[in-house]
Amino acid sequence: MSNLNKTTISMIINNENYDDITVETRQHLGDFLRDLGFKGTHLGCEQGACGACNVLVDGESVRSCLMLAVQANGKKITTVEGLNSSEMEIVKDCFVKNNAMQCGFCSSGMLMTTYEIVKSNRKYSREEIREMISGNYCRCTGYQAIVDAVEDSLNKINVGV
Amino acid sequence: MKSPAFSYYQAKDLADAINVKKTDDDAVILAGGQSLLPTLNMRLSNPSVLIDIGNISELKEIKVDDSNLIMGAMCSHSQIMNNKEVNEKLPILNKILSQVAHPAVRNKGTHGGSIAYGDPAAELPAFAVLVNAEIILSGSDGERIVSAKEFYKGLFETAINSDEILTSVKYPINRNGMKLFFDEVTRRHGDYAMAGLVGSIKQNNKINEEINLVFFGTGDRPNEAPKTCEYLLKNEYNYSDIKNTLKNDIDFASDISSSSDMKAHLSAILVGRMMKELN
Repeated sequence: MSNLNKTTISMIINNENYDDITVETRQHLGDFLRDLGFKGTHLGCEQGACGACNVLVDGESVRSCLMLAVQANGKKITTVEGLNSSEMEIVKDCFVKNNAMQCGFCSSGMLMTTYEIVKSNRKYSREEIREMISGNYCRCTGYQAIVDAVEDSLNKINVGV
Repeated sequence: MKSPAFSYYQAKDLADAINVKKTDDDAVILAGGQSLLPTLNMRLSNPSVLIDIGNISELKEIKVDDSNLIMGAMCSHSQIMNNKEVNEKLPILNKILSQVAHPAVRNKGTHGGSIAYGDPAAELPAFAVLVNAEIILSGSDGERIVSAKEFYKGLFETAINSDEILTSVKYPINRNGMKLFFDEVTRRHGDYAMAGLVGSIKQNNKINEEINLVFFGTGDRPNEAPKTCEYLLKNEYNYSDIKNTLKNDIDFASDISSSSDMKAHLSAILVGRMMKELN
C-alpha cells in the first residue's frame, strides 16, 4: 500500500467541473480548495474547532480541514465564492447591513452555518441561533451583530412561515 | 498543522476493508474522520493507510423493529437526528446528539466512529453502556457481538481486534417504562463535557425500583456508579452524600477544564437534576 500517497480525483466546485487533479492523499479539502484559488475558505485551527473553513459538500456544511480532498472525489462542493442562491444573497446583504463582521476571517464559515439554519426552514430564537453558530469562532467577538444578521436574514426570507 | 503522509484505500465492501485491515497492523479505518483528522493534523497518529469505509452503503442503514433500533456504523449524527423513526422510538438520542459538536461536524461524524473511538468524554459510548447496547463487529472469522458494558476496556481502548470493524450498534427500545435522562455541563455548547450523565429510572407506583447512572468526561471510560445507584434507591437525594458516594464509585480524573473534585461536584449536581426531572 506504500506507493499510493497520491491519488487523482475529480469534483464539481461551484458548478464547474474540476477533473483529473492529482493530490497528495494527506491533503485536506481546505488546502486543496485554496490551492485551486478558492481563498474565501479560511483555515484557522485546522483541528475542527474554529469553523472558519466550513464549506458545503453535497449541500451539507462540513469542516474542510476535517475532510480529505480524496474523500471529496465525485462530490459537489460549494465555497463562499459560490454561495449565490437568492436566499444566500439576502443573507449576505443582512451580514453587510448589520455589520456582522469586523476582520471578516470567520465570515465564510459563519455563512455556511447560516446556510444550514436557513435550510432547516424553521424559526429560531436568538438562543438557538447562538447554539447553531457555537461551532464558529469569531475572535473579534462580534457575535451580537452576527446573531442580528442571522435573525434579520430569517425574517427577510420568511423562514418557517 | 498538516498530516503526515499516508496511503488511502477506498474499500469496495466490508470483506474488502477487513482484508486490507488484517494485513496491516498500522492501517486505520476512516469513518467520518471528525476525531481522526484532528489527530492526523496534529501529528498525534501516524497510520500507514486509511481504509475509507464511506462508500459501503450497507453501513449507512438505520433499521427499526419492535424491540430494537440498529444503527449502521456509517450513519452520520445528522442522519440519525433527522430520522423520524429514531425520534419516535428513542427520542433521547436526538437530545444527546444535539450536544455532540456542531452542525458541520455532525454532518460528517458517524455513530460507529464515535462508539469505536471510545473517547471517555463522548456522549454516545456512555449511552451505549447505559442501555447495554450490542456492538456488532465483523472480522476475518465472521461476526461477533460484544455488549457495551464489556466493550470499553480503558482510555480509548475497546474490545475491537485488529482485524475487526465495527459494523452496527443495536439499541433496545422496549424499555418497560424505563425513563431516560441526559444532561451535561460544558464551557461552550457542543464542546466535550466537563462532566455528563446519562441515567435511567424504573418506577413501580412512583417508587424507584431500578436506577442506572453512567457518567462521561469523568474518567478513562464511561463510568458506571453502582454504589450511588444503590444509595438513591434507599435515600433521598443529598448533595454531599452523593458526591462522597460518587467518589467511591469513580476515580475522577482531572483534565484541562476541571479538577477531579470539580468533576465530582458537577456529577453530583447532575444526579440532582436527574432525580428532580424523573421523579
